[in-house]
Order: sequence, then C-alpha cells, then structure tokens
Amino acid sequence: MAGRSRIVPGVLASFEHIDAATDAIKALRAGGHKDLVVYCSHPNHELEEALEAPVSPVRLFTLIGGLTGTTAATAMTIWMNLDWPTLVGGKAIAAIPAFVAIMFELTVLIGGLASVAGVIILVLMGTRRGVMYDPRFSDDRIGVFVPAGGEVAPGVERLFRDAGAVEVRHAEA
Amino acid sequence: MADDASNPSPIDRRRFLSVLGISGAGAAVLSGCSTGQVQKLIPYLVQSEDQIPGVATWYASTCSECAAGCGLHVKTREGRAVKLEGNPEHPVNRGKLCSRGQAALQGLYNPGRLKAPMVRAAGGGFQEITWDDAIQRLAAKLGAAGGKVAVISGAGRGTLSDLLADWTAALGGRLVRYRPFDHEPMRAANRAVFGRDELPAHDFGRAEYILSFGADFLETWLAPVENQRGFARSHGFHDGRMAKHVSFAPRMSLTGQNADEWHAIRPGSEAALALALANLLVTEHGAAGGPLAASLAAFTPESAAKESGVPAETIRRIAREFAAAKPSLAVAGGVASQHRGAIEACAAVNVLNWVAGNIGQTVLFGADLDAGDGAAGLDALGSALDGGQVAVLLVHEANPLYAVPRSAGFAARFAKAGFKVSTSPYLDETAAQCDLLLPDHHGIERWDDARPRAGVVGLMQPVMEPVFKTMATGDLLLKTAQKVGGALAKFNAPSYEAHLKARWADFAKAQGQADAEGFWRAGLQRGGVFTEPPAVEVKPVPGFTPAYTAPGFDGTGEFYFAPHVSSFLYDGRGANKPWLLENPDPVSKITWQSWVEVHPATAARLDVRNGEILRLTSPQGSIDVPVYVYPGLHPDVLSVPLGLGHTEYGSYAKGRGVNALDLVASKAGQPFVPYLSARVTVAKTGTYRKLASTEGNPRQLGRGIAEAMPVALAAKGLSVREAAAAEGHAEGEANPEREVEALKGWAAEVHERTRKGDYARELPQWGMTIDLAKCTGCSACVTACYAENNIPTVGEDEIHRGREMTWMRIERYWEGADPASPNGGAVEARFVPMLCQQCADAPCEPVCPVYAAYHTADGLNGQVYNRCVGTRYCANNCPYKVRYFNWYKYNDHAWPEPLNLQLNPDVTVRARGVMEKCTFCVQRIRGAQNQARLEGRPLKDGVFTTACAQACPSDAIVFGDLNDPQSRVRQASQDHRGYHVLEELNTRPAITYLAKVTNRTEA
Amino acid sequence: MAVLAHEPVITQTHADVTRDVVATLEKPSTGYVLLFFGAVGLFLVGALTLLILVKDGLGHAGYQPPIFWSVYITTFVFWIGIGHAGTLISAILYLFRSPWRTAVYRSTEAMTVFAVMTAALFPIIHIGRQWLFYWLLPYPNQRFLWPNFKSPLLWDVFAITTYFTVSTTFLVYGLVPDVAAVRDKVGGWRKLVYKFASAGWLGTDNQWRHYSRAYLYLAALATPLVLSVHSVVSWDFAMALVPGWHGTIFAPYFVAGAIYSGLGMVMTLVIPLRRALKLEHMITKYHFDNLAKLTLLTGSILFYAYGMEYFIAWYSGNTFEQTTFFRRAFGPYWWAGWTMITCNAFVSQLLWFKKIRTNLTALFVVSIFINIGMWFERYVIIVSSLSNDFIPWAWDGLNPTWADWGILAGSFGWFGMWFLLFARTFPIVAIQEIKEMIPLPRRRGGQH
Repeated sequence: MAGRSRIVPGVLASFEHIDAATDAIKALRAGGHKDLVVYCSHPNHELEEALEAPVSPVRLFTLIGGLTGTTAATAMTIWMNLDWPTLVGGKAIAAIPAFVAIMFELTVLIGGLASVAGVIILVLMGTRRGVMYDPRFSDDRIGVFVPAGGEVAPGVERLFRDAGAVEVRHAEA
Repeated sequence: MADDASNPSPIDRRRFLSVLGISGAGAAVLSGCSTGQVQKLIPYLVQSEDQIPGVATWYASTCSECAAGCGLHVKTREGRAVKLEGNPEHPVNRGKLCSRGQAALQGLYNPGRLKAPMVRAAGGGFQEITWDDAIQRLAAKLGAAGGKVAVISGAGRGTLSDLLADWTAALGGRLVRYRPFDHEPMRAANRAVFGRDELPAHDFGRAEYILSFGADFLETWLAPVENQRGFARSHGFHDGRMAKHVSFAPRMSLTGQNADEWHAIRPGSEAALALALANLLVTEHGAAGGPLAASLAAFTPESAAKESGVPAETIRRIAREFAAAKPSLAVAGGVASQHRGAIEACAAVNVLNWVAGNIGQTVLFGADLDAGDGAAGLDALGSALDGGQVAVLLVHEANPLYAVPRSAGFAARFAKAGFKVSTSPYLDETAAQCDLLLPDHHGIERWDDARPRAGVVGLMQPVMEPVFKTMATGDLLLKTAQKVGGALAKFNAPSYEAHLKARWADFAKAQGQADAEGFWRAGLQRGGVFTEPPAVEVKPVPGFTPAYTAPGFDGTGEFYFAPHVSSFLYDGRGANKPWLLENPDPVSKITWQSWVEVHPATAARLDVRNGEILRLTSPQGSIDVPVYVYPGLHPDVLSVPLGLGHTEYGSYAKGRGVNALDLVASKAGQPFVPYLSARVTVAKTGTYRKLASTEGNPRQLGRGIAEAMPVALAAKGLSVREAAAAEGHAEGEANPEREVEALKGWAAEVHERTRKGDYARELPQWGMTIDLAKCTGCSACVTACYAENNIPTVGEDEIHRGREMTWMRIERYWEGADPASPNGGAVEARFVPMLCQQCADAPCEPVCPVYAAYHTADGLNGQVYNRCVGTRYCANNCPYKVRYFNWYKYNDHAWPEPLNLQLNPDVTVRARGVMEKCTFCVQRIRGAQNQARLEGRPLKDGVFTTACAQACPSDAIVFGDLNDPQSRVRQASQDHRGYHVLEELNTRPAITYLAKVTNRTEA
Repeated sequence: MAVLAHEPVITQTHADVTRDVVATLEKPSTGYVLLFFGAVGLFLVGALTLLILVKDGLGHAGYQPPIFWSVYITTFVFWIGIGHAGTLISAILYLFRSPWRTAVYRSTEAMTVFAVMTAALFPIIHIGRQWLFYWLLPYPNQRFLWPNFKSPLLWDVFAITTYFTVSTTFLVYGLVPDVAAVRDKVGGWRKLVYKFASAGWLGTDNQWRHYSRAYLYLAALATPLVLSVHSVVSWDFAMALVPGWHGTIFAPYFVAGAIYSGLGMVMTLVIPLRRALKLEHMITKYHFDNLAKLTLLTGSILFYAYGMEYFIAWYSGNTFEQTTFFRRAFGPYWWAGWTMITCNAFVSQLLWFKKIRTNLTALFVVSIFINIGMWFERYVIIVSSLSNDFIPWAWDGLNPTWADWGILAGSFGWFGMWFLLFARTFPIVAIQEIKEMIPLPRRRGGQH
C-alpha cells in the first residue's frame, strides 16, 4: 500500500514482544505522540488499553438499521394487504400476528447489513492512506507507526529501540 | 404464461370457421330449424340472428345409448356440441341423464371414428373411397343379391327402423332387430303369464315396498334413469316415511348396495323365493290368489329357503312387510340374473306382483317398451347364413361379433355371408370383418325419431355439421334405393329429412293435427310428442301354472360364474369413451380394467388378495383377470364385469381388459343368452396387476363422514347426533361438548371478519345440500363434472399413483361387518359425493403464498389458475382432499383430436403445475348473473344450477343461494338430518349433507 | 480472556499458526480432487433431473395424493436444519465466550452458508411452475398483486433470505483479516486475488476497534435469527391442520432437531477434514468432546419431544391425532418411524460415555446415524402424516422414484462442491481468533 498513494513521512517500528510494544506506545503517548497507527494480527486488548481507544460508535448503525427493518416490515405487510384486500380463511385483512415473523426477519436483516456498512464507513473515515506497512504484521509482529518526519524522527527511533523494537524503519516524503 | 388458459390442441382454423359458418346457416334455440347441409363456408360477416358467439344454443334430441330413449338437450357453442343434458319435458328421464347418455358426446368426437367410407382392399386392409363409389358398390351387390339380403339392426323403434324394414322387405330380404340386452326372458314370461309379448313400464315412485330379484334397475334394467328417479321419490326420506327396498341377488350390484336388505341367494333360485312369497301372501295375508292359489301351495318358505339359502323366517317376515305395503313392486330379470331359469323367475315375479295387486298400479302394461328380436332372431339368421342364404349382409348399430358369446360360433356363420356391409361409425369387431364400411352419422348429427314406448315419440335433429365425412344411414338407404331401382324405386324421398317429415305429416294427421309443419316444429322444440298411453288390463292366462326348476349350469367348477353389466360400459359400447373408463365403477371403484369379484371368505380360502391374477376356466374358455375382494357376493359366486376385452373398437377399447362373454355358454336354438350359466374353476397364475382403484380406506373410522339413521328416529325429526345418542352410540364428534360452545362463539366472530371490506355487501352465499337418502352412488354427477369443467382423464398409470382429477368423487364406505371378515357379506354401503365444500373459513386459502386460493364475495373458494405456482400447500391443508394437481401436461394427452372439440369454451383448460378444484361451476353462476343483469331481473332460485345437480337422476343435490330465505337449498340445509362433514374442524362448509335413512327391520 | 481459565488448548506460536493454516491452501491432494469431481458429478445428476422435471412436470417424482409434499420438502428441511449448528457455534458460543468454538467455527460457518444455499433451492425445485417462483416476492408487478403474508411460506421466504444473507455476511466478515494474513504469505497471482479479497485490511488499531465491536453485534443478531428460522420452518407444518403437523411443540422441537442434525454434520465433515488438512493439533479431541456433549443435549431434547408428541396425541383424545401417531409407529411407515426414533433418540444417548465422545471413529459413526435419523424425522413427519389425514377414502402411500433420489443426490453434490472449494481457498481455521488465544511472547516473560 505504501508507495502507491502519497507516502506519509514517519517512523515504523515492529515488535516481537507485546509488553515491549505497549511500553513504546505508552511512552510515545506520554511524549505527546497521540496520533499513532498500531498494527496487529489479531484484536489485542493490551494494545487497546495502551491506546486508551474509545468504544466504537458502530452500535448506532446496528440500532438504527434494526429499527428501520422493523418499521419497513410493519409498513409493507399492512399496506400491501390493505392495498389489495383479499379475504382468506376468514382471517382479518391486516392480520398483525401473522406479520410478526416478517417484522422480526427484516429487523435482523437490515440491522446486520447496517452494522457491516457502519464498520466500512467508520474504518474508511479513520484510515490514513500511505502509511508504511510490513507483511509480518499479519503474522507474528506488532507494528507501531509514528507520523513524525524530519528532526523528530531520530528521537522516536531511539524511544523505539529502548522499548525493544526488533526493527525500525523511516519513511521520507 | 403461454400454457395457461390456452386450449391444449386448438381447433384448426378451417374447421372452426366451417362450424361457425354452418351454424350461422340456420340454427335456433330449441327451434325447428336444423344446421342442414352447407354449400359454402361463410365466416360471421353477417351475424345470424340466432347464433351469438359466446352464447350457447340448445337443441332438443333423443339419446340412443340404450333402449330407454331418454330425451336430450344438446348444448352447442359456435356450432359444436359441448354438453348433453336431459330434456325436462321428456316423460322418461325428466331432464336427467345417466353417465352413458352424457358420454355419448365422446362417441361423437371419438378419435376412433371412421372418417369416410372404406372398402376392403386386396391387401386385406381398408381403403378410403368416395360416397358415390361406395353407394355404387352397395347398389351393385344388392342388385345382384336376388333377395338374399339380410340386415342386422340395433336401431331403436323409429322411422329409420321402419324404413329399414320396408327397404329390406322390398329387397325380399330379412331384418333382424338385435340388441344384446333385449330382456327376452321378461317378454317370454309376460307372454306366458299375461299373454302379452311386451315389456311393461314400472312406477318405482309409487311403490311402498320394492323387492328386486336380481334386477339391477338402478344400472341397466329397462329405463335406469326413470327407475332411479322413481326410486329416489319413494325410497328417499320424505315427510317421516320412506319405501323399503329388499334385494335378492347372488351379487350386491349398485342396486343391491342401495337396498335396505340384501340377501345373497344361490344363483337361479329367484323363482322359488318369489313363489314362496306369493304363496305366503295368499295363505297368510289374505291376498287373492285367484286361479293361481292352488298351484302356489306347493311353494313353501322352507323349500325356498333350501333353494336360495335365505332363512324361512326371513322370507316370512318379508312376506308380512310386503303384504302390508300398498302398492308394492317386485322386479326381476336383467342380464345379471339371466340364467337358464330366467323365464320362470320373471314369471314367478309376475305372479307375485299380480297376487300383491301391483299389476296396473306399479307394473303398467301397455307401455310396450322397445325391444328387438333378441338372440333368437340372430340365431335364425345364423341358420340362414349357414344355408348360404345371405349374399349381402348389412349391419347397422350392432356389434354382434363382440356381443354374442364366442361359444355361439356366430363369427364363423357371419363369415359365410357373401358381402358384408357395416354402417358403424367406429371400426368395431363386426365392422372389421366387413367388406364395405359406410360410417353413419352420430346420433346428434342426424335426423331421426325414436319410439321407446307407447305414447312417447322423441325426435333427433342434427345439431352441428358432421365431424367427419360420414352419411346418415337413412340417406344412404334412399340413395342406394334410387341406384338399385326396381322394387326400391318407391323410396324416392330427396333426403331422409324429407322422408322423416313426410312420415310426421302422416303422424300429424293421425293425431288429428291440421298444421303438419307446426306440429313438426313443436315436436322439434319439445324434443318430441309425448302422450299418456292407455293402460291395459291384464290377468293371468287360463291354464298358466307357475313353476320352479333349479336351472342347470355348465361345467363342474366349484364357482358360479356371474358376469354383471357395468353401468358405464353396458354392452361394450362404453369401452371407447375415456370418461366412462376413468370414472370409477360405482360398485368396485376400479377404472380402466377388468376384475373378478371374490368374496372375502373365498379369497381367504384361496389365499388370494387384490390384484392377484386368477385364471377362470369354464367349459367355453378361460380368462386371466385380477382379483377384487368384494364383500357383496355369495361366497360361491365369482363376478366379472362385461364390456371390456375388445379386439377392435378404437385405441381406448382395443386390448383393454378381458371379455367375460368368453366363459358364457350360448348354444343355438335357445331363446336368449344365459349369461349366468357357467361354473368355473380357478387357478392361481402367481402374477399380479395393481388394481387401478380410487378406493382408499373404505372404513369411516367413526369420523362421521357418511352419517345415517334408522327411519324410526328420522321420523322423530332427530338430528344426526341425537339419533346416534338415541341408538346409544358414542358420538363421533371429536370435540367434547364443552368445546363445541366455545367453538361456536369463535366461529361467529370469525364469520364477522369474513364480511369485511368488499365482502360486506349483501351478496348471495352459494351453498349446496346433498341428500344421502336419495344418492344412489350412480356417479352421473361425476361424468357431468368431467364434461362441464374440462377435467382431463389421466389414464390407468396415473390412477395407479392416485392422481385422478375427479373434482367430484363418490366415496363408498362400508358399515357393519368388516369386509375382510368371512361374514363380510353383511355390510352396508354408504355413498358420499365428495367435492369442494367451499368452506367459509377455508384452510386452503390462507396458506397460499400468492392468493391463488381466495374467498370470493359470494362465498366460493376461488382458485386462480393463472396465479397458481403450485406449492400444493393448499392441498395438504384441505381436510376434504378435494384439490387436484396437474402433475404432468394432462391437457396435452386427455383430448386427442377431435375430442378437444367437446371442451367447454367457458372453462379454462388447466396448465401443468397448477392446482385445480370444484368452484360450484362458477362459470354457470357468472353466466346466469350476467344474463339476469342484462335482462334487468333479479337472479331467481332454480333458474340455473351446477352440472352435478343438473344431472343427478335422484335430485339428491340441491344448489342455490343460502342467503335467500325462499331458496330450496336454504330450506333443505335446515333439515334436521343436515350435518357438515368434519364439522369439528370449524371450516364451516357451504355443503350440508342430509344423513342417509335406513329402513331395516332389526331381526 | 476467559479462555486462560481453561487448560491451554494450543501450544504453538503465532508464526506456526499462520504457516500451518496457509499450508492448507497449497496444492490439493489427488484424494481431494477425486472427492471434488465426485461432488460435481452428483450435482450434475441433480441438475439433469431438475431439467426433466421442468420440462415434463413434477409427475416424474413419486408424489401420490394425498401426499403432495414428499422427498423434496424433506430434504429442504434437512438442509436448513444442518445450517443451524454452524450459527450456533459461531454466534451463540461466541456470546458465551466458549473457548472451544474457535478452532471449528470457521468450518461450521461455511457449512451453514452452503447448507442454506442448498436448502434455498428446494422451495423452487418443488413447486409446480418453477419458473414463477419469484411471484412469492413482494415486487411491484403490473397489477400490484402482492404476496400473501399470512402464508407461512411467505415467512419462509423472508426467514431463509435473511438467514442466508446474514450468515454469509458473518462468514465473509470473519474471513477478511485471515485473507489479509494469507495475502501477506503467498505470492504470484494468488497474492492479487487475496489482496482483492482482503479489501485493504491492514490490522490497524482503528480497524480492529470497529471490527471487533461490530462482530459482537452480528453475533447478537444471528443468535435469535437462528432460533427464528427453524421455528418458521416448523410453522409451515404447525400452522396446517394436518394431524401430526398441528402441534404447538413444533418450534422448539424443530430447533433442537436442527441443531442436533447440524452437529452431526459438523462431525461428519470435520473429522475427515482435520486429517486431510493436517490440523490435528488445532482441532483436538477436546473440541469433539464438547461437540458431542452439545449433541447429547439436543438429542435428549428430541427424545423428550418424541415422547411428548405421543403423549399429547393420546391425551388430547383427538381421534385424528391418535390414528396418525398409531400408524406412525405401526402403520405402513413403521420402518421410517422407528429409524427416526432409533437414530435420534437412542443413538444420541451413547454420548453419555466419555470413551465414545473422545473416540473419533465412534463419533463419526454416530454422526452418520444422526444424519440418516434426521432426514427420516422429516420424512416421517411429512409423508406419514399426509398419508393418513382426515378423509380415510383419500388415504394412499408414497412411492419415491428416480426423480426424488436424483434431486436428493444432487443436493449433496451441490453442497459438497461448494464446501470442498471453500476448504481449499480460504482458511478453514480462524487464524486471528486462534492467535487471540495464544499469548504473545514477552521480554519480561510470564503472563500478565
């Protein structure tokens, strides 16, 4: 990915040890570097704690999606029955109990799809392009990237080394 | 969908235009006009005032499917006959029609019809020739015959028969009027007892007590439709009473199944029973024995019991009841009991009737029902043939090479005729042996009249352009006469129509009518001229003494072989009509097959089961036929239906089933064919053939589907459940009392809902009642439904898989002893016509995902064929199982050309993959409503009805508007005998069944 | 995580996990290829049968009124049921934080998707005019005819569509990070494919934050969904009048049965799979032990349901119900009835023994019995109930034909085809979740 779009200048360190990575993150945040990109092959709670990330707002999408489903189903079933009222088996034209199943299914359907849509939107909004990446991050390494070019970079590199990074690379604009 | 609604094999355009044009040329609603012959085809450029496309035109005519001569109304659409119904004005059938009569339509459009005259080619096959050529050839042969001419004619009494007689006489030839079932023994007996060689009429309607000695009067005996109408009137429950019907017969025919008591007698013992009863009447019940009293004394109940196997005390009881009922009626005869002692049996029954004072009351001499010369006539002709006395033999409306038992050796004698000519419209067994085929018009394509009995003259008129290049035999005779000249020259009428009108002019004179033309037109309109024949007083001829000698049987087999007449196939002429083959036999419920009926005890002894093929061997021959275990049989009797086993007669009949006549002994010199005269041995073949039966489980399992109550309780006006309680039966109701109330409340609430929105208007609620006390299970309604609703016949293989499409079916449940048990004979048959119940809260409707099944505003279960996608959920959810699915493209195979011309244009032909069902003939309902709207009058009760109700000879079915307080159906539905099938499901059916009433003396 | 409370399940490093799983995607063995083409062959048999059915009509199948539904609906319910175990393991057990699901859930989830894919074909195959199936959908047609939402079949349409969509989403969603991992291991054209499939996944903190959260909600939605779907399917029957269908017990009874059959199928699939893909050290006896326990539970629920059906039939005093259930045990379909009871109620009870729960051969045999038993359960419920309902005169039996078996075989082919294809193309074990359970190395050593 890096290199295709405009490259973000900064320092990328990769760690083998989780505690090393968390130490580095904590130190960086203490040093004012709040804007970090941390790579990991799996959702890791220690990293989340170190980053003190807020809870994802995706649940809003789920909620709204679900409610939309319910209303849509209710409206559809009742309106369609009234639009062409046909009598069957002596049942009421708009027999609500019979429609509950459909209301439920649409709630789940739209709720689920909305959540996924939410993730996509949120991720796209929060992702910065052109950040350095290393294939081993999806394997067994943890990566931490600091968008700090120029004179700040050496300090950051030193910090990483002290924390125990196994490798540190620089990205120039 | 292309395959929706479209006629499976559309009529080709030219034929369509032709029929259109022709009928345009001059047809009239029940008017004296006829289609006549067309000179050129004209499409409807100029609208003829009496032919409106889309509106049916009706013609009166006469049925020629049997000797009864019922009146017809022929419904034509755009110049095609599409349905046959009874003529309400006709005294014989009063607007009703049996299955055979209705199926005549499939004879008209039969794919097996000969399409043109043909002559035997050198190669042996037939080759088509022109009519001129054909007539030339016939004339030449006749000219050369030098009087050595013979004619076999099965035509009923009428102008054509007269012409045929004169024509033959003029040629110096001999005419034999031959029908297979000619009731010779009855006539012989009447000659012997009363000195009258005739068949009397019988008034079942007035009889309080009916004794049947093997006469299947509801099926094929004399005038079945008339009999059934009368039977329903007397034996149907009305104002607290009903006649009693006791049947003595070796086999429980449909008539026997409708008896309150059926006694399985030893074959041939009818006379002994009848005379014993007569004797008891005279000695114990004060009947006037007159000259016969003395000779009767010899016939004691005990001797009769010994002969027949009916206990003496039963005979005494029946004598007591019989004597108490006035007037009563005893009947005998018919093919099923035509053994060597048949004349004595009929004579004995004459005596019984005379002693009981029924002669002139319910037995009406002077009616002189139509009958031919019978087997004797054919036998005489046989010897002429042997003597080489026949140079030209003309066969008309007869098929002796099939109907005469092989043992009579008639085929060999027939072959001795020099030149053999057939006028049969079909290539039947006889025609196949002829040298010249001159196919006649079908009965409703030609002019003629019929005199089935004194006082009744029915007219037949061509209602449409002939389907094929055939010629009315009347015209043929006249044309040939002109060619031959000489003695025949006097037959110089320009056409048979002219000849007929001339005869009618004479008739008008005889009737003292000045205006012959008016008389003629009136006759055409009414369907004939009907007068009351003068009754004739008869009394026993001096010197007559009743007698009984146990009839002899050929062979030494352990079983009596009792062939019976199928009420559909009759003398075999039904075998080429798919309706009659597919409509389940009313007794056995088997289709498309032959079977042999075996008593359960006998079956157990022989260790045979349904479908196992037995070989029956009599001195005359042997047949292999699958077993049907049937409780309604004397254990020593095996019974096989007649009418199948054709070797010719079209693709439907050819090679289907076996011909029971092969086992029958028929020797030269005897006055009639003793059908019941052979003893057979049985041998297992170890092979099986699945019975094409529509019978599921024949027991009701206490589900209250076919309810009944004794007349005593019915007279008290009890309901079905009250009657059951009174009899101390646990009620069949699945819901306990406490639930019923709750259900009622709920039902009312649901009913409110059913009247929402579009449905709130005050509309008719179509309903039906079926009176099981009248229904005889004859299945005429089923045939009518096939005809009206374009129901496809699916054939034997599909019926094996339970896929028959009968929108209306007759369910036959056994009550009483288990048919499988040795005493299975003691069973009661109950019939339930089962069709869509048009439930108000129909389970089939809400489950349809696409609203193909829905409720109409006037209370029908609509079925939108075009919308149906075929989930079949509705059929699963229908408790009555009256929905039928198109598993294949049945519409492609059911109506091979030209059968498709019969299709009712008002009804969609259903595509493959859709569900279909009865909708109370919705096309008739809408038609009548539109008519009423056009004429700005309200739709009155009874101006129209469904096809089944229209056809029902018993008038058991009543259809109409339940919201109309005056309607017949409303009245009937409130009868105390009324009940709904599976009421506890709360489907609220629109059909109310009236429980059967049984008139049994608990002995 | 709660998992640490348990015995450590897996004893490898993250690198091993990635390596081993990616290894499953390398060149297929001949055995696999044969199996795959076998499946394709079966599928073609089914396709050909369907072709004939559409051409001539359903008559070729053994339908014999009053049995208007038979083998096709049986097989439909069978496949729908199979799906349920997948969702149960991947969603419900996720909410319960049950550790043993991790190793197997990907394969079961795939099974779910393909099973539903198979089942979804049957409502179309079995109708009389297959080409008009879309009339069941509420689309604005020329006459504005809408479908009948009161019909349980409509509920089916919605339930199945939803179930298929949601379970597919769930599967694909879970796959994304793993595909990214594969992307970073392989080269050549395959890299391009996986790169596309990974949708730009990098595993940044931002991505994980939203991803994990949404995963939780998806699981939370899928859980009631899976329960609803088979309830709706059961209502196809329970809403009808047919004796033997018309029972209030049906929804829970069917759901239990569905999960039971699904677990059976999971074992049938995963036992050979783990050997073929050399995943023995990831999918261990520990997992099967737990699967078997769940099977035992659902099997016992079925046992109870069967008993209860008979009890109610007797207790209700309803003659129709009584006849139906008497004939189910002693009527013409006694053999099917007893097959169902033996395979489901009795065989499941073997799982009380740990020896059997931990013996894979035994488990495999049991699982086969379960599959057969559950197919017959539906066969009995549908065919034997329809064969003898209210009107005795209409009673008849069923004679299945080549057309029935052809479609049945085809459905297995269709399912196997997709499943095998999937197992070869995507990580059949969830890399990221396994890793989540393996503590990362620490400089200072020890756990936190």
